[in-house]
Parts: sequence; structure tokens; C-alpha cells
Amino acid sequence: MNDFVLIRKNLFRRKLRAILMMVSILIAFAIFGVLASFERAFNAGQDRATPDRLVVLNKINFTQPLPISYYNRVAAIDGVAQITHFSWFGGYYQEPRNFIAAFAVDPEHWMNLRDSDFVFSPEARAAFIRERTGVLVGARLMEKWGWKVGDHIPISSSIWSQKNGSHAWDFIIVGSFTARIPQADTNVMLMGYDYFNETRSFGKDLISWLALRTTSVAANERVIDTIDGMFANSPWETTTDSEKAFSKAFAAQLGNVALIVELVVGAAFLTILMIVGNTMVMTVRERTSEIGVLKTLGFSGGRILRMVLGESILLALLGGLPGLGVALLMITRVRDSLMSFVPTLSLYPDIAAAAVGLMVVFGIITGLVPALNAMRLNIVTALGRS
Amino acid sequence: MRSIILQTLAVTAINLKSLPQRLWLSLATVITVGLVVTVLLAFLSMANGFRRTIADSGAEDIAVVLRSGAVSEINSVVLRDQARLIEDGPGIARGPDGKPQTSGELYLTVNGIKRSTGTKASLPLRGLGPQGPGLRRGVVITAGRMFNSGSNEIIVGRALGKEFEGFELGQTVTFNNTRWTVVGIFAAAGSVFESEIWADLPVLQSLFKRTGAVQTVRARLTSPAALETLRAYSDNDPRLKLDVMSEAAYFAQQASNTSDLIQKLGWPLAIAMAFGSLAGALNTMYSSVAARATEIATLRAIGFGGFSAFVGTLVESLILAAIGGVIGAAATYLVFDGFTASTMGASFSQVVFNFQLSPRLIGQGLLLALAVGLFGGVFPALRAARMPIVAGLYG
Repeated sequence: MNDFVLIRKNLFRRKLRAILMMVSILIAFAIFGVLASFERAFNAGQDRATPDRLVVLNKINFTQPLPISYYNRVAAIDGVAQITHFSWFGGYYQEPRNFIAAFAVDPEHWMNLRDSDFVFSPEARAAFIRERTGVLVGARLMEKWGWKVGDHIPISSSIWSQKNGSHAWDFIIVGSFTARIPQADTNVMLMGYDYFNETRSFGKDLISWLALRTTSVAANERVIDTIDGMFANSPWETTTDSEKAFSKAFAAQLGNVALIVELVVGAAFLTILMIVGNTMVMTVRERTSEIGVLKTLGFSGGRILRMVLGESILLALLGGLPGLGVALLMITRVRDSLMSFVPTLSLYPDIAAAAVGLMVVFGIITGLVPALNAMRLNIVTALGRS
Repeated sequence: MRSIILQTLAVTAINLKSLPQRLWLSLATVITVGLVVTVLLAFLSMANGFRRTIADSGAEDIAVVLRSGAVSEINSVVLRDQARLIEDGPGIARGPDGKPQTSGELYLTVNGIKRSTGTKASLPLRGLGPQGPGLRRGVVITAGRMFNSGSNEIIVGRALGKEFEGFELGQTVTFNNTRWTVVGIFAAAGSVFESEIWADLPVLQSLFKRTGAVQTVRARLTSPAALETLRAYSDNDPRLKLDVMSEAAYFAQQASNTSDLIQKLGWPLAIAMAFGSLAGALNTMYSSVAARATEIATLRAIGFGGFSAFVGTLVESLILAAIGGVIGAAATYLVFDGFTASTMGASFSQVVFNFQLSPRLIGQGLLLALAVGLFGGVFPALRAARMPIVAGLYG
């Protein structure tokens, strides 16, 4: 009969109470796991962005276009290592609610720029450059619709229409790609800009934004000033920003809602902390005379303290670990349905590790007051108190 | 029967009067239930405020015409010829001058700075014709004046001006080397239009190189039923690949995604937390029964029935939960009701809205609290009713 057995027996002395506590801790950590993963997924754009990546947007707002001629002009600037342009396609498959993140790009340069995020097979690379009506589809998007390389698919646009009046373009899937780093989102589709530009009925020779990589982070400021200075007072002024700042600003547009979610998680934790803390105090008070007996038998105050703390930490882990499991289950369940909304949603190992750390802290906090009381308990009062 | 009622009343009174002896535990229950109700109501009032702001913006007798499949105004493109065909369509009300009451509009987004965070935010800039404001309920200029047609003047919605910097009355803003002056602030009955900036359509078209097309056409219908007539006319013309819907339906669809998301987050979270606080309530009530073991046994020994012990305990639990629920509802009302927030709507631009509590929502919150009280009280109450008298007396 070692201390651990004693801790375990103490914990489950009142089965119903112990199970209730575990359920409430389980709930708190399930909430934490889900919401922390969501927050991470929202900010994935910032995590992926390396500091040497810049985006060039229309100064009025990122939804306003820029002329394609800017592409070559910015590419020629000293300090720009790689560059591609993007055009937002506003795509959907069959039904407007089946949103597809589709962009028209310069195939070769886009692949060069995103080579650090994605893995392109040599066949896919060659085919995407060669095939005018070809699209490159990320692995998760392929999986979502059960597409295969070689499939012909019609993709509609909620913005653009073809010169013949049709809202849909027919593409051939010429290849797929997978993520090289976990934050990279493969729920996207890329098409060649030339084909898109020649067939659309309006907006010809316009693009949505430019993305570039500088030769070094040190060159960033100079490149930004050169670009924005070059187009100042023109009909299409630009604002150049780091990709990280842009992603962050975009995520911030969700506004106070995100803050409110965090407050709520805080409230949930506080609630459950109060309940468990209160119950621990009560549990230990009930055992006052027992602790007196243990002390009489020669258990030191420190050992009693460790036993009570051990009990509350064990309780937190027994509730919290299944809670993380529940969070994992929930995330896996909703991942596909929310793919377009929060790509890269998953329970990252560091979130799980943080949760386990929190459990221990939680256990210490809830057990600390009763443990100290038990440690300081005087034998005479303990045996006298009933 | 009468004696049972009298007994029950007596025991309940004893229970409630002995509450101060178990002050901390009872207080913990009250506070946790209060927090649960606060969280639930915060989410529900947020979803409700967002939905009301957007959904109430739409009228049944206004038709919104978008490019088919566009889903939201920002994506839509309606060419000039298509707009003309729609404006001559059936079912559209005509003004005193005999002209159809329609408004072709542009919907663009421009950058502004959010006051509370200092971050960049996308704000809607709408270009509309002279009939535009009249197609919306309760549009009044609250300060300054209306923009003059053909000039670089803008008027700003009241809610937008409160939440974002750079659009105060008399200020100038620059879009592409063109200076615009804010000449007026307008209100629109608390609708989503108060989160918009308005300018003259032709000026905006030329500046943003959108001549020859608008994005949406709004039209006042002769009656809500005339929508079907207009839709049939549009569907039967091969030149018009357009979606025709009532403004109410358009906004309901725009609001549903975000408010669904908030609600889908709010209820499960509140229910999960309710289970947590249920654990607390059960604990409190079990210890309440344990603390009163001698008392209950004494009452039973002098002839009180088990039923009165059961009801007394259950009422104690329900009252604690109800107090918590009322405190939670009051806290939500004081902290959140009327709280102004803004988030990204369906068009990638900001919608300003207020949290709105309603009696129905408060009722839902109190129901949740009472459910916690009921489940948290019923098992301990059974224990109280079944307590063996002898064990209680020697407890």
C-alpha cells in the first residue's frame, strides 16, 4: 500500500462526486482544446508567413484590382527575389454554397514562390506550365470531391463570366500537390492566368494582388518604399505589406467576436475551477480526523501535502486527458465541413502539451488551499473536530 | 392532504432559513449557475443583435437583383443593358413622376481604421442614384446634408462613424488621388445601412473604372406578391442571368451564416458548462442534506413525512439556481446589452451591430438555470426523503 494507492482510494471514496468533478474538468478541457485549435487555424496565415514575404495590394482596399503591367515593373525592382500575381476567381463547384478557393496565377512563378510550402511532383509541374486549361488542385480539395488527375471539371465563378455568357469554366486537373509544412493549406485550386484572362468578359488585364519574396529581410523596407513610391499618384496606388501583417489584419476583421470567445473560455474555466476547488476543500475537511490519524501514525506534514495535491492533480488529469480526447474527436468530425472556413484545423501537439500543463496547474491551484490546511493541521484539533 | 402541504411549507422554511450556515457552498452554486447563464446569454444576445441588425434591414416589398450565383453584393455584376431590362420589368412601383422606383448600385470596399483596436478594416462604400435612399426605411440625415450629385461628396452611416476613424463630418478622405468630403451623417433605423458610406453612383463608377455596369439593382415592388412576377420575367429572358429576391430574403441569407455560427458555438458551450455547474450543484445539495441529517431525522421522528423532506431539499436547490440565473441575466443585461461590436459580414466588409437581449432569451437563460437546479436537487432530495431515521439521529 503505497501513497499512490492511498491517493487513488481517497479520490474514489465518493464515486459519484469524483465522477462529477471529472466530467466538469473534462468539459473545460474539451472546450479549451477545440477553441485553442480554432484560434490557431484562424491565425495559420500568420504562422506560415516568413518575414521575407510581401504582398502588394490596391491602396483603397484588397478587393480592388491592380493592372497586370505592375507585375513586370515590380519584378524588375532590386531586392525582389521571386514574385507571382494572384487573381481571385470566386469559385464554386455545382452549387454556390460549395465554395472553392480558386486563384488564377502565373503557373511557373507561383510554384517557385510556394515551393517552401508545397511539394510539387516534376510531372505536375511540367503539366501545369504546359496545359493552358489545366488546374493544379491541392490534395485536400481532391479528397473532398473525390477528383482524380485527368478529370474534366466545370468550376463556376460567382464574379466572372466568360465572353459566351457562361459562368462556368471547364478545366482539366493536371496534377495535385501536398503540404510540406503543417500550416500550409492544400484546400486550394490554381489555374493559369492567361486562359482565365483571355476568356473572361470584363476586367481584362487586371489582377487582385502580387506576392513576392525579397532577397533578404533587411531589404524589406527599401522594397516596400520603392514599390509604393513607384505607383504613388497613379490611378492605381498600392500598399505593400508583409504577408504576416496582412493575414493578421484580415483575421482581426472578425473583430471583437474573437475576444468574446476568449472571455467565454475564461469564464468556463473559472466556473469549473471554482466548483472543483470548492469541492476539494470540502472533501479534505470531511477527512480531518483521518488526517489526524495519519499524522499520529507518523506521516509528515509534507507527505500529507503531497498526497492531497497528488489527489487534485490526479483528478485534473483523469478529467482533462479524456477531455482532450473529446476535443480531438470533435475537431476531426467538423474538420471537413469547415474546411473552407478554417483550413488547417487540427489539434496541434503544442496545444495538447499546453493543455496537459494547464491540467497540472489546475490541479495544484484547486488542491493548494486544502493541502496547506491539511499540512498545518494540529493533531489534537483534528481528532477533536468531528 | 392539508397536513402534507403544511409540513412541506414548514420544512422548506427551515431549509431556507438554515442557508446562511452553508453560505460558501451555496454561494458557489449561485455564482457558477450565474456564470453559465451569462455565457449563454452573451452568445445569444450577440447572435440576436447581429441577426436583427441585418435581417431587419430588408423589406418584403423591395426586390434585390444580383447576378445569378453571386450570393452577395460584392461579387455581383449587372451590365447596363440588363439593368435597363430589369427596370422596365413588371411589378415595379412607379413614383409620382411615372418613373419606376429603382436604384442601380455599386458596392465597393475601402479601408478604414477601427477605433477600438487601431487596425485596418474593410468598410462598404455604396454608390447609389437619387432614388436609392428612398428605397430604404427611415433614412434621415442626422448631421450635415445629403451629397450633391456629380460631386466628390460622401455621407456616412451613424454606426460606422462611431466605430471607425477617418469619416468624421467635414473630413476629407482620399481614394486614388481623388479627395472626398464627408458632408453628412445619416441614420437608417438601426439597419445594416448605418454601417455604410454612400456616394453618388456616376462619380463612383468613373473613379473606380466601373462605367457600363452596376453591381445590384434595387426596386420597390407594387406589393410583396409582385416579386414572383418580376422573377418570372427575369427567368424567361435569356439575356438576364440574374437572381431576383426580396431584400428581406437576401439579408436573412446574409445574416444566417454568422449568427448560426455564433449560436452553434453558444448553445453547446453553455450546455457543456451547465453540466459542469450541475456537478457543483449536486455537491452543494448532497452536503446540504448531509449537514441537516440530524434535523431531518428529528422531523421524521416527530411525524413529518418523507415527501416534505424531498420537496424542501428540491426547493432549496431550485431557489439557489434561480438566484444564480437572475444574477446571470442581470449581469448580461448590465455588461452586454447594447454593447457595440463589429465583425466581417458576408461581403468581406464590416457590419456594426449591438448586442440585444430580449425577454425570450432571458427566459431561455432562466430555464437553463432551473434545469440545473432541478437535476442538481432531485437526487439529493431523494436521499433526504429516504434517510433512515435511526442513522440520522446518531449521525
